[in-house]
Amino acid sequence: MRIIVHKAKCQGHAQCLARAPGVFKLDDEGYILPGDIEVAEGEQRLASQGARCCPERALEVDATPAARIEPDVDQSRVRRA
Amino acid sequence: MAINQVPDHVPPEMVGDFSLFTSPGMSPTPNGDPHAAVACVHAGAPIFYSPCNTRPGRGTWVITRAADQRRVLQDTETFSSHRSTFASALGENWPMIPLELDPPAHRVFRSLLNPLLSPKRVTELEPTIRERAITLIEGIAASGTSCDVMKDFAFPFAVNIFLRFLGLPEHRLHTFVGWARDLLHGDDVRRPAAARTIVAFIDELAAMRRNRPVDDFMSFIVQAQVEGRRLTDEEVRGMGVLLFVAGLDTVATAIGFDLAYLARNIKDQDLLRSEPDRIVLAAEELLRAYPSVQMVRVAIKDIDFEGAPIRKGDYVSCAAMIANRDPAEFESPNTVDLSREANRHASFGYGPHRCLGSHLARREIVIGLEEWLARIPAFRIKEGTAPVAYGGHVFGIENLILDWS
Repeated sequence: MRIIVHKAKCQGHAQCLARAPGVFKLDDEGYILPGDIEVAEGEQRLASQGARCCPERALEVDATPAARIEPDVDQSRVRRA
Repeated sequence: MAINQVPDHVPPEMVGDFSLFTSPGMSPTPNGDPHAAVACVHAGAPIFYSPCNTRPGRGTWVITRAADQRRVLQDTETFSSHRSTFASALGENWPMIPLELDPPAHRVFRSLLNPLLSPKRVTELEPTIRERAITLIEGIAASGTSCDVMKDFAFPFAVNIFLRFLGLPEHRLHTFVGWARDLLHGDDVRRPAAARTIVAFIDELAAMRRNRPVDDFMSFIVQAQVEGRRLTDEEVRGMGVLLFVAGLDTVATAIGFDLAYLARNIKDQDLLRSEPDRIVLAAEELLRAYPSVQMVRVAIKDIDFEGAPIRKGDYVSCAAMIANRDPAEFESPNTVDLSREANRHASFGYGPHRCLGSHLARREIVIGLEEWLARIPAFRIKEGTAPVAYGGHVFGIENLILDWS
């Protein structure tokens, strides 16, 4: 499972961090770090809950990365995992 | 309150009669539930024009759906936050910062303040917050089996934490709360008087900290640099006033509404007392159910928004209490469900102006509830009393007398 991070939408609510501190990492100002997140097997439930908490819809759960079609390529997006 | 004409560009069929200021249930009401009263708008059109929906009696568009509010609050190129709401009470025009600045100027000041109230910083403040809550509640528990929650706990707790953060003297707590009350809830005489008093106080404090800096918020602001320069006097004032106004009664109000709910819903009260691990999630649901503020924006260009012909200069109201009852966003929105998951409520707003103090506010609410439930046995609204709740510019509750005899 992968979380697609729409960094520009993040406004620092930090609800993802509150739900899944092991999955989501914030910078010193409280905004999400850039880059999509590959979620480890044991953390998928919490990660998904964390993403669904985002009031700005900045976190998108991608359950099947292989089948996903990239709508546009964002060069700033770096895979962290 | 002056009733304004509906502008010519607003189609008559889009005019609604709901107002956060004048609708039934918005004025101070014993045992009132202004949040429930607001929910009725979802039976009507998703967007309508309310001819009298600001304190001075101006009309606004009312955006009822959470998804549409998100669009408005995220689109700062169409919907500006620059309204000088505070300064206008004085007949002046300067922004509270960063709230009343739009991006990109907003970003510089927001970045300056973000680290001061980040989740990490708030975690460091937690022991102090908890100690303050415990001291107050132990005092209440030792002195009887009843108290006025707002006077005895909510305000002394939340305002004290905030004054410490700002570096303001704690012994003046009641003075500051009085100013904030006059400013937020006062009439046409008290409101500008309070605004003048607060500005003079902030200006004086800034001058003092410039001469002799200490370790507090105002010293930080007067020494801070943006884009390689010091802040101007107007910028220092804009930031000082915003922080002062924003933090003084919001958290206390939230704690008041939360404890009123728990006093009336004994099962939920018992559940949280016996399983305190549930309080973090429950606090989010109580934030959803009982928000206190509305976000207002002004259109800076014409836009046809979901069928509404919004024109440059129109006010657009995004009330959290309305979005939070949107059935398209929340299942059973009028039911308080303390184990609700994925609770994307609008109580701290959306977009770049998302409440800067939200992390601190959340911690205070959670700690306040944890320590209250741990120390006060089953409590109810005291027989023969009625809490007074009201809507308007900032929702609130008074005279909340709890009893655990």
